[in-house]
Amino acid sequence: MDDLTGDTPPLLAVEPAYKNVLRGRQAVTWVVLWVAAAVADQLLLADTDFHGLPSIALPIIALISLTTAPQRIYSRLRYRLTERFLQVLRGWLLHTDTIVPLVRVQHLDVTRGPLDKLFGTATLVVHTAGTHNSIVTLPGLSPERAAEIRDVIREHVRTDFA
Amino acid sequence: MREDQAVGAPERLHPLFLLTGLGASLRGTAGGYAVIAYLLFSGRAATALIGVIALVALLVVSTFIYWRRFEFRVGADEIRIDSGIFSRTHRSIPFDRIQDVDIAQGPLARILGLAQVKFETGGSAGADEGVLAAIPLERAEQLRLQVRSRRLASTETETSSSKSDRPPVYAMDLKRLALAGTFNFSLALFAGLFGLTQTMGDVLGFDPFTRRFWLSVLSAGDPIADFLLAHRVATAIAGALLLMLIGLATGIVRTVIRDFGFRLDRAEGGLRRRRGLLTRTDVTLPVKRAQAALILTGPVRDGFGWRELKLQSLARDEGGSGYHLLAPLAGDAEIASIISEIGWRWPPGSARWAGVSPFYVWTLAIALSPLLLIAMAQAAVARLVPLGPGEGSAPLLVPALLFLAVVGAITARWLAWRRTAYALDGERLLIRTGWWRRRLLLLPLDRLQSIDIKESLVSRWFGIATVVFGVAGGSGYSARIIPAVPRETARKLRDDLLIKTP
Repeated sequence: MDDLTGDTPPLLAVEPAYKNVLRGRQAVTWVVLWVAAAVADQLLLADTDFHGLPSIALPIIALISLTTAPQRIYSRLRYRLTERFLQVLRGWLLHTDTIVPLVRVQHLDVTRGPLDKLFGTATLVVHTAGTHNSIVTLPGLSPERAAEIRDVIREHVRTDFA
Repeated sequence: MREDQAVGAPERLHPLFLLTGLGASLRGTAGGYAVIAYLLFSGRAATALIGVIALVALLVVSTFIYWRRFEFRVGADEIRIDSGIFSRTHRSIPFDRIQDVDIAQGPLARILGLAQVKFETGGSAGADEGVLAAIPLERAEQLRLQVRSRRLASTETETSSSKSDRPPVYAMDLKRLALAGTFNFSLALFAGLFGLTQTMGDVLGFDPFTRRFWLSVLSAGDPIADFLLAHRVATAIAGALLLMLIGLATGIVRTVIRDFGFRLDRAEGGLRRRRGLLTRTDVTLPVKRAQAALILTGPVRDGFGWRELKLQSLARDEGGSGYHLLAPLAGDAEIASIISEIGWRWPPGSARWAGVSPFYVWTLAIALSPLLLIAMAQAAVARLVPLGPGEGSAPLLVPALLFLAVVGAITARWLAWRRTAYALDGERLLIRTGWWRRRLLLLPLDRLQSIDIKESLVSRWFGIATVVFGVAGGSGYSARIIPAVPRETARKLRDDLLIKTP
């Protein structure tokens, strides 16, 4: 990267509060799964040797996942904003390193879901014209930082095709 | 809608739309036919007849009302379309927003001298953005001229307008058309036919792998017929040949219907393509909206030096695909002249091709290895367990086929790996992939939307990454990937691309 502009800004981490957002989101998914598993357990497995296993095993898996996954996902999520492009590194199992040249950006969103509001984060959504990978998201920013990046990128937005 | 100076007099679709439009709506009521067919087969013919009459009456009336309620006006700056039976839509399309005017003529419309006009706006709203279903052909061409001259006036000074007597950039004669049809022969169709005769042959009375079929086709006494009937192998070969012949004929017919009279001309701002036997289409492909070029070929066509050229574009081609077919079958010189017409240099000069890592083959081998183990286990079981009565060699056949399929897939991937390469040619990236479906993607760097470097759980250990390019338009992205390059090479390539991206 160093040969690009000389002094490239460093890769930045997002807000630590993003870990809580991830935990919250995963917890909701796990609760839904647990309810489904418990219902299936009572209805389908009542007469078998496995009765009660899903209801107990699932919360244990959920707990392990909730204590490890968010930390790892958070520490893998890095971004860099230079004068010419936005770079987002993400993914725990599948590493993805995305670069979007700022002149290619079509439009920008800053979104905040209920969990984002609860923990004080925001997600920056960058739309390009591409068919593949046309939406690049950068979650876990503070609302002020998201707005700041949006304003920087907005300067570059232009359409270059008729 | 207020009457003002800028907007012209209201116009209707041609009255003969009642005929052509009826055909279209007849095609659109598949559900009705199903109900009628059901009634007919369940023995209620009278009810079915009433159903048919009701359906036709409904279609006639609704087509008529649609025609009555459809109005368009052509103003100085825009076209307005008022449509809708119950909920009225007043659409206004500014000429500045219209990328181009597509004209299509179905078989009936050609007899009647009508044409369908579609205003290409480049919006994502879909096909029904601005369509005039049936207006006279002269009016359609007049509209197209009006929109074009308007666009030219607003963007650039008028260049020498294209004369129709200039030689085409590319055209297909009948011989070429037949050749293209021959290459259109698809193995998939052949396999499908084979499967059909094997499963449905008795019901259809068409199974060229049986004696009965040839008995009825060839009169007995003919030496060929005797030979066919006498030898099972000969019958099988003759059956396969017959199916191939059908496949070949289907390919030729399909190609002739689609590409008859294929002709590519220079036009303002792009290339003008005319083609079609029954439905004749006349489409202008705007060069400005071209995102990438795709040169496709297969092992056989490649051997003869034939290529297919497609343009990936933001504009939609007929049928809603994001690719514009520029040449179904062309030699290298023709491809070069078409591409240079778009304004891109071709063929590549001294581009240095770089291959990809053999890990590309290994990933597939690793992914398929469980299947190989299953095949071996099955074979072992088949050897150990004694055959029951009535069982032939089938237990060994399944693992053998599985084994062959896996080996075949890996061999195909190995052949593809040998061909897969990429090159940075000035302001463009070239990516070559595939062995059976050979693709060469020509991607101008200023059309690059985003670059991803992906590493999976497995590839990470080997330091291998996949580079994925975001390109606008088109559909499917198998050719916009450079698979399996060493991590450092991938990063270096990305840096090189970013430096050159304006």
